[in-house]
Formats: sequence, C-alpha cells, structure tokens
Amino acid sequence: MGKKIVLLLVVTLSLGAQTLKVPDAAQFVGQPQGTPVTGAQLTRRTNEIGGLLRCPVCQGMSVADSPAEMAVNMKGQVHELLQRGYTEEQILTYFERSYGQFVLLRPKFEGTTTLVWLLPAVALLIGAAVLVVTFRRLGRVPATSNQQPPTAPDDAYLSRVRDLVSGGKS
Amino acid sequence: MNRTVLFVGVAIAAVLLGILFLGLGKNPNDIRSPLIGKQAPSFTLREVGTGRLVDLATLKGKPVVLNFWATWCAPCWEEHPVLVANARMFEPNVQFLGVVFQDEESKILNFLQQRGSSYPTVVDDKGKTAIAYGIGGVPETFFLDANGVIAAKHNGPMSPDILQANLQKVMR
Repeated sequence: MGKKIVLLLVVTLSLGAQTLKVPDAAQFVGQPQGTPVTGAQLTRRTNEIGGLLRCPVCQGMSVADSPAEMAVNMKGQVHELLQRGYTEEQILTYFERSYGQFVLLRPKFEGTTTLVWLLPAVALLIGAAVLVVTFRRLGRVPATSNQQPPTAPDDAYLSRVRDLVSGGKS
Repeated sequence: MNRTVLFVGVAIAAVLLGILFLGLGKNPNDIRSPLIGKQAPSFTLREVGTGRLVDLATLKGKPVVLNFWATWCAPCWEEHPVLVANARMFEPNVQFLGVVFQDEESKILNFLQQRGSSYPTVVDDKGKTAIAYGIGGVPETFFLDANGVIAAKHNGPMSPDILQANLQKVMR
C-alpha cells in the first residue's frame, strides 16, 4: 500500500510539474536552417559572430571582446545557437529582434542606416572633386607671363638699404 | 576664396553640425525596444525563496508589470519601494513580477527580507530571458497588457508618475 501511495505521488507530481523554460531563439527566428557547428570551428565562428554584435553594457565594444557579464551571456548564446545549427543570419536576426538594429555593429543597408554606408563615400567624392578643381586652378599659368615682371616703385628706404649693402659703391 | 566653394562648404558644415547637435541632445541609452507591440517572450522561471515555478503565460488576463533588476544596482534600490507600494495598490487588477539576473539568490532574499516585497521575484539564471527581452542594463521595466503584448518599456528607475502613466496604457 505504501509503495502504491509513493508511486501515485510521483506520477501526480510528474504530470503536474512545470519545467523551467527560458525564451528560445525558435520563438523569434524559427528552427535552425544550417548545420550544427563543432570543435575549433565552433570557437572561431562564435568569436566571429560575437564580433558583429554590440555589447549593450559596454557599448563601444563587441560581445566577443567585452568582459561584461551580459556580453559573456550573449556570447554563450551565440555558441549554443551555432551548436544547434542556427545560421549567422538567424543568430543576428534573433539579437536584432530583442535589442533592435543598435545591437548590430555592422548596420544593415536599409532605411536610414543606408546613410551610414553612403555618406562617407559621398564625402570622399566631394573632397576629391574639390582637390581636383583646386589643383587645376593652381596649375593654370597666367596669360601675362611673357611680360616683364613689374618693377617695384621707387622706394627711398630700399635705395638706402642697397647703398648700405653695396658699401655705398652704387 | 571662391564664393561658391565657401557657400557649399558652409552648407555642408551646417548640416553636419545640425545632425551632431540633434544627436548630442539625445540620451544614448534611450533606445526604443523593438518588442513594443509584440507578444512578450514566454518563460517559466523559479521564484526566489519558495522555488515555485512562475509561468508568464498563466498571468494573461490581466496587465503585468515586468521589472528586471539586481541587488547590485543602486537605482533598483530607489525604485523598489515604489514598485512594492503600487503592487499592493493595484492588486488584484495588475500583476507585478520581478526578474533578477546576474545575482546571487542569498543576496536577493536578503534584499527582499530587509526591504519588503508584495509580488513574486524570479531568477533568470543564465540571463537568457534578459537577452530575449533586450536588456542592456538594470532596472528596465516592461508593461504588458492583458493579452501579453508589450505596450511600453521604461529604462531606469521607476517613479510613481512614470509607473502610473505607463499603467494607463495597459489598463484600458
């Protein structure tokens, strides 16, 4: 009888028991679309993808480099998702869905972030154009070059200096 | 100097200065959450002290104030009395739930015993829940409507005015 009660309790508890559950990437990006990564490649890819994510605590650093515990957790998450077969795109999308585009160290080429990619190139082109125009203008020889250079007007002070320099022999 | 070049240069500098001025006026930590308007990521975490499992999904049917915090966070100490008082005031129409991560259970229990508590506090052991919610620092508070959709988020310590203004969004 005692054994039956214990068994009944175990079964009841098992049926009614919840399990710990944390939000999973599958909620955000579906099932893995790549192949699981292992070994040295797993470490390399974890660091590569971690280098594309911004640490939300130490905002100037990547998740791969930041010592902040949040960054360590995020890097652990990248590691786990790679092991499960998630692709780089899925992993980046997962973090973007939680944190927004701000978490991507390499902004997407869409919407307002296209300016981040285009403005430096535009500025470079404008700068180059200004330099070309400026150098062309500097290189132009004036039309009056065949004429004698204008002489300085009579200057008493200049004459006096010349006398002193030449020892009064002029 | 060529007037055209001067004019173009001044115009470009003015635009860049304008963008810089706008940017400097903004709080770099005030980033709008992409989760607003979306279903809150589900989780089942263990309550501090009791070990009871708390499933967010079971709280649907009433608004939820989901507060991420830690004992090492000074602003969290400031806002704790506000949350405790408002949780009592709005009970049973609103459910408050605290989520602690990057912390030790003994310190959390000590904190709650010293400062009081009127709502469950659960532990996010490896910070996966915090990552799913896009937590960058603590405290951060989410306001979920009765359907479990995130209606608002506040970064930083909660004041009575901020709390009540955000509760209005979820108690319609």
